[in-house]
Amino acid sequence: MTKAKKYWKGLADLNNDPIVEKLRQNEFVEEIPVDEFLGDNDLSSTSTSRRDFLKFLGFSTAAATLAACETPINKAIPYVIKPEEITPGVANYYATTMYDGHDYASVLVKTREGRPIKIDANKSATNARIQASVLSLYDSSRLKNPMKGEVDTDWNTVDAEIISKLNEIKNSGGKIAILSSTIISPSTTQLIADFSAAYGNVVHVQMDAVSYSGMLDANEASFGVRALPTYNFDKAAVIVSFGADFLGNWLNVDYAKQYVTARNPNSGKMAKHYQVESALSLTGSNADDRIQIKPSEQAGLLSNLYSALNGGTADSRIAKMANDLANNAGKSIVVCNSNDAEVQILVNAINNTLGNYENTLSLSTPSYLKQGNDRDVAALIEEMNAGKITALITYNVNPFYTLQNADGYNAGLEKVELTIATSLYNDESAAKMMYACPDNHYLESWGDANPSNGLYTLMQPTISPLFKGRQFQESLMNWMGKSDYHTYLQNTYSSIDWNKSVHDGYFTQSQAASTVNSFAAAVPSFDLAKADGIEFEMSEKISMGDGTQSNNPWLQELPDPLSRACWDNYLTMSAATARDLGITNWNVSNGALNGNMVNITVNGTTLNNVPVMIQPGQAVGTIAMAVGYGRTAAGKCGDGIGFNAFALGNGIATLEVIGGEYEFAATQLHHTMMGREIVKETTLADFIKDPHAGNHQVTYATHKGQQPADKVTLWDEFDHSTGHFWNMSIDLTSCIGCAACVVSCHAENNVPVVGKEEVRKSRDMHWLRIDRYFSSDMTKELSAEEKISAITMYTEMEDPSENPETVFQPVMCQHCNHAPCETVCPVAATSHGNEGQNHMAYNRCVGTRYCANNCPYKVRRFNWFQYSDNDKFDFNMNDDHGKMVLNPDVVVRSRGVIEKCSMCIQKIQEIKLDAKKAGKRVRDEDAQTACSSACPTNAIVFGDVNDDTHKIQTLKKDTRAYKLLEHLNTDPSVFYQTKIRNKA
Amino acid sequence: MHKESEIRDPLILGNKTYHDISKDIARPVEGKANKYWWILFSLSLVLFLWGVACMAYTIGTGIGAWGLNKTVNWAWDITNFVWWIGIGHAGTLISAVLLLFRQKWRMSINRSAEAMTIFAVAQAALFPLIHMGRPWLAYYVFPIPNQFGSLWVNFNSPLLWDVFAISTYFSVSVVFWYIGLIPDFAMIRDRMSATISPMKKQLYSFLSFGWSGKAKHWQRFEEVSLVLAGLATPLVFSVHSIVSMDFATSIVPGWHTTIFPPYFVLGALFSGFAMVETLLIIMRKVVSLESYITIKHIEYMNVIILLTGSLVGTAYITELFMSWYSGVEFEQYAFLNRATGPYWWAYAIMMTCNVLTPQLYWFKSIRTSFVATFVLSIFINIGMWFERFVIIVTSLHRDYLPSAWSMFSPTFIDIGIFLGTIGFFFTLFLLYSRTFPVIAQAELKSILKSSGSEYKNKK
Amino acid sequence: MSKNTLYGIFDDEEVLLASVKEIRANNIEIEEVFSPFPVHGLDKALGLKETRMAIMAFIYGCLGLSLGALMIYNIMIVDWPQNIGGKPSFTFYHNMPAFVPILFECTVLFAAHLMSITYLIKCGLFPGGTSDSPDERTTDDKFLMVINVDGDTSSVKAMLTKTGATEINEKDA
Repeated sequence: MTKAKKYWKGLADLNNDPIVEKLRQNEFVEEIPVDEFLGDNDLSSTSTSRRDFLKFLGFSTAAATLAACETPINKAIPYVIKPEEITPGVANYYATTMYDGHDYASVLVKTREGRPIKIDANKSATNARIQASVLSLYDSSRLKNPMKGEVDTDWNTVDAEIISKLNEIKNSGGKIAILSSTIISPSTTQLIADFSAAYGNVVHVQMDAVSYSGMLDANEASFGVRALPTYNFDKAAVIVSFGADFLGNWLNVDYAKQYVTARNPNSGKMAKHYQVESALSLTGSNADDRIQIKPSEQAGLLSNLYSALNGGTADSRIAKMANDLANNAGKSIVVCNSNDAEVQILVNAINNTLGNYENTLSLSTPSYLKQGNDRDVAALIEEMNAGKITALITYNVNPFYTLQNADGYNAGLEKVELTIATSLYNDESAAKMMYACPDNHYLESWGDANPSNGLYTLMQPTISPLFKGRQFQESLMNWMGKSDYHTYLQNTYSSIDWNKSVHDGYFTQSQAASTVNSFAAAVPSFDLAKADGIEFEMSEKISMGDGTQSNNPWLQELPDPLSRACWDNYLTMSAATARDLGITNWNVSNGALNGNMVNITVNGTTLNNVPVMIQPGQAVGTIAMAVGYGRTAAGKCGDGIGFNAFALGNGIATLEVIGGEYEFAATQLHHTMMGREIVKETTLADFIKDPHAGNHQVTYATHKGQQPADKVTLWDEFDHSTGHFWNMSIDLTSCIGCAACVVSCHAENNVPVVGKEEVRKSRDMHWLRIDRYFSSDMTKELSAEEKISAITMYTEMEDPSENPETVFQPVMCQHCNHAPCETVCPVAATSHGNEGQNHMAYNRCVGTRYCANNCPYKVRRFNWFQYSDNDKFDFNMNDDHGKMVLNPDVVVRSRGVIEKCSMCIQKIQEIKLDAKKAGKRVRDEDAQTACSSACPTNAIVFGDVNDDTHKIQTLKKDTRAYKLLEHLNTDPSVFYQTKIRNKA
Repeated sequence: MHKESEIRDPLILGNKTYHDISKDIARPVEGKANKYWWILFSLSLVLFLWGVACMAYTIGTGIGAWGLNKTVNWAWDITNFVWWIGIGHAGTLISAVLLLFRQKWRMSINRSAEAMTIFAVAQAALFPLIHMGRPWLAYYVFPIPNQFGSLWVNFNSPLLWDVFAISTYFSVSVVFWYIGLIPDFAMIRDRMSATISPMKKQLYSFLSFGWSGKAKHWQRFEEVSLVLAGLATPLVFSVHSIVSMDFATSIVPGWHTTIFPPYFVLGALFSGFAMVETLLIIMRKVVSLESYITIKHIEYMNVIILLTGSLVGTAYITELFMSWYSGVEFEQYAFLNRATGPYWWAYAIMMTCNVLTPQLYWFKSIRTSFVATFVLSIFINIGMWFERFVIIVTSLHRDYLPSAWSMFSPTFIDIGIFLGTIGFFFTLFLLYSRTFPVIAQAELKSILKSSGSEYKNKK
Repeated sequence: MSKNTLYGIFDDEEVLLASVKEIRANNIEIEEVFSPFPVHGLDKALGLKETRMAIMAFIYGCLGLSLGALMIYNIMIVDWPQNIGGKPSFTFYHNMPAFVPILFECTVLFAAHLMSITYLIKCGLFPGGTSDSPDERTTDDKFLMVINVDGDTSSVKAMLTKTGATEINEKDA
């Protein structure tokens, strides 16, 4: 045994001097007399005089302060091994496919340092929800790891248990059901087939939150094809929609583009658009002729239209329409939102009589976007209740929330032995299952899609999974004892050039066209009768859709294009109906909108304290409410907002008015133009006669005679004829008000979300807003004729008509070349760039807000509080995951500064630098702002007017071009094109 | 030697001698404060502290603590600013303009009027500072070289004009005031006995700059006062004209009006004299100066109020007429909306208080009553506050694009800050009334012979 | 030959004024007069020169104006000309109208402050300075005349009494 060596610390140690031991015992040789100088038991005896105490106090305060002065350390960690494709500061773009069970789009994803930060259109257009979906990726309320009941667990346990259970069921011959959203992924369909092969008795049921089942059934009945037609609105000369919101939420995002292609006033051809509906939809607000009906009249009118087309007499309301349709056989489209197969058969019959099939709409190359089948779902629920289903696997659905009557489903769930949810969230339904398996967001997944016949788009991951998620397909394979969905996917498409297709994001491949039988179905006929009582109809908001993304703050704060309210859903009701029921809306002292509440009962379901918003355009005797709200397990910002309209379903409503005060958050409190020339508009007829119709320039009398406003100036102008001069054109005829640009701007420029309370105080931060104006019954002409006093005129002008004409006007900073805001800034924090932008130097701004007062367009936004890293504003900027979506090229503004649209100067600088590096001139198609690139209808065109090749030049010279509030001679760089309506 | 016709009423009552004047003026400084003083002082101190708290909260959390929004970006802050600045103007007018016009009656009131000017401008100056989003960067508004390179202020901006105008106005007023104070401090100094109150004596000899009243000094003194008056007169007009240009040079309908400079200056004098009356009527009681601040002084001021008030009324009417005559629908609507829109009540208050009340001064009985004057002066103060509120808020809340129209309602922070400045103002004024010679006694003595009652009776 | 200083104290400025005239008429030089308030005409009676404060003020004003103009010119036109609201920043004169208010303020600022400072310096007034008045009452209600006499003071005393001095003190140098 060896003895531990001992080293002496000195002679004292060697001689075992007691001092050594003593020292070892206490660190401080002499006791520190703490009690003596700070002892509080006997103050009089302490050696510390008051002065000493103050000294200590002073010292410690100073020390603490100094310590606090230390600047916070921000760690920047370099790549250990830098991925070759990533260069810090340079964006990478990946083509992929967005599909969440409700929306589908082929998109381009911008990533910076490996983080997806922006969605742009690729093969298809985008809408607000698709634009915003990138933020849903970074949602920290997502299901982070597998859960067994309430408890978190890990994949191995879950897989082991599930597989063993599945095998038991297989052996006992139990029945396994897979309940999913519409599956547009061929490989997934294949995979499910494999799964059923592996486990024998498997049934796959698809359901859509907003069902198109009726339409599918109708097509099956009429043509033997259970699919939806593909529409070509661009080929139509007459478009008739019975309640179908095809510009907003109906089916496919690409219709908007087709629609405006069919309606180009400069070509002289403009499809005539009739909308027959009860609730004012985005589509309805764009219609040339909007007919208000009660939902119960729809079937009757359709069958009346059908008979009219076959020689019968048309109802007075639709006589013109019937006539136009008859004259444009083969060049027209009739669509309908009804989910009743009978009604849809009628619609098919009409289109068939008009010979529209294979002209303006096609079933031979159908769309596969919606395949949900209500009957199957009902059957499944029955079987579940009958105990015939032993295992239930849900994917991408939330039946407990979206079913009109979820009780049956819940009861059935009790009787199922094994329930597995694969879902992004531990939502209302997933929480009820035994196992909740986190799915991957589409930006984390591989996949494919077959939206319509012949077209395939691919999905590729743009970031490695943020949480312990695993995409459904992978899970499914796992449970079959297989793995590697990526290879499986590739094998599905052996014939194609994989890398090219992934790069492009899509490929086309001839696909067996479905055999369309000639129309063979008994055409039902309905008599034209109006149900009495107030009729309720579910509607869909552009921002929320079916509520899949309701935990997305960008979407929650996106004002509805028509009501301009956000963070809410509500019953929309016509002013007349409200008057009868004694319901009012009113503005409180700070302008915010309040409204009365009602208890509503539809189909036996009652919702209490539902607010009513008086909505011009809503048909008398009807009410509507948007679905997608009233979530209870959506996440911190989606929960407890609004009410679940799915639970009600369409039907006759009984209302119990309870008055009260509900607080709305609306970004626009005034609804009419007050007779001002803000949106200039005219009719197609007049426009063809006179290209300047509705757009006569403001002139002033000068010593040189009448001069246009921009010629009357006191000063020598700055020269913008050389270099770039960025301008923007906004065509109010093609702007449908879809708000995709608003969200795009939000994402590109790190615009903060401020929450309901602040929006209510008119403090929304949107850099780009879409003003919506309704026409009023009172006009200047009328008051002139009838000698009405100015006061009465203006008072009456404030009320919109019952069935108003609607206009949308996107307004962002107009980048005036005589900017009123620049002149008044005391510290020159905002001044003009030589490329025509109105710059804003945030770190120079002291926040006097004078510029905001002096801006006639009111586009400047003030940071009333610190909106980032502030628990009072607990949205994506106060969340470690949410922050990852921020655009590194745009500074996050601090409290107390003004901010506003910069014409995406960061994008412009980027393309200029790229062009410089490449030694080429800037190509006009590269010059895009967030809004112009997001616009599905190309209403917003951005470019350099000094570039002769750019179409912006011709647009600026166009007879329809005008500048907003031209008479002020602010000389904006943004100009608008007059709104043209195709009506007499 | 001043000569004056006998028929003029005496400006100094109760047979005073030079020595009496010294005594009376020095009394508040030498003696103890009476209970009115203490009541008022504690009241104002409380208000002041409350205001400080509200300001601290605003600076701590952000301007969002106020009721402002994206459409109405200025409301109470600038309203208060203009209101206080306006009040300040009467002081300069009394001491400068009336000096140029050799109005003797100014002498009993100019000292306090100037004090009021300075304290009011101090309140006013607070608002441009705290209304900033980032007040800690307020120094950005000065044309100072900086580490950011060639980053300068913008001389086109009316706000920058304000910065220069107000700092000039404030500092010049202080100097003007102090030059006049020196001989009076000397008087107090010399009355103090070095044995009884050595501290005070030291203090006042420090303040009096060693003044001894040499003939040459008096000669310079008078010249300097005259020139300063000559400079202060255009200054006072320029300051409020520039303040009005904050609005006049903008393009907001209801702001963009060429009549604003004269209209604002008149309004300022109008409200300023009202505030002088409010203060003096209180002060003559609190520090018992009844024989120096007489009903005569009040009546003279009331006459000025009647004049300026009527002119302000004319301006209102002119504004309305021009908006209609301009034929510009935005202008027309702006004014229609003022009178009949959601803020009609504010407009009504403004009209009654500013146009109707001063007309009562046509009646001598009202013009020469302390009570009536006091009440009416309060009315006018309120009315003038509402004038600025109407101009600022009702113009902003409905401007060009109806989509942006909104409303404004104050939060308790807005209100707290305003009350706070009132408290601050009175705190300063009350302290002043106990420590300063509240009347320019040296000047007053020089007119005793001509305007003192005793001497008048002699003749 | 001893040098004496006489202090004649008066109660009333009119008497004082008369006396001053009388005494100077007799070629007796009055050293200084202290009074509680400006006595009009006294400076003339004493034969004091006109003060040049006003002229100084004018000069200072011009200085302020030119310095202000220089500052603005340098900042807005030379150092960093910007396009602010499209207003021409090409030359000073183009942009001048916007500068008028500040130019005016600069003028007043300089004139007022520099003149006041000059005044204080010329009068030797400064914080904490001490009064050299021989009698504290001169700031209250007494007027004091200082006369230096070589040798015999009686005649001067007599004249002072005659012209209404209420009290005469003598101080040997």
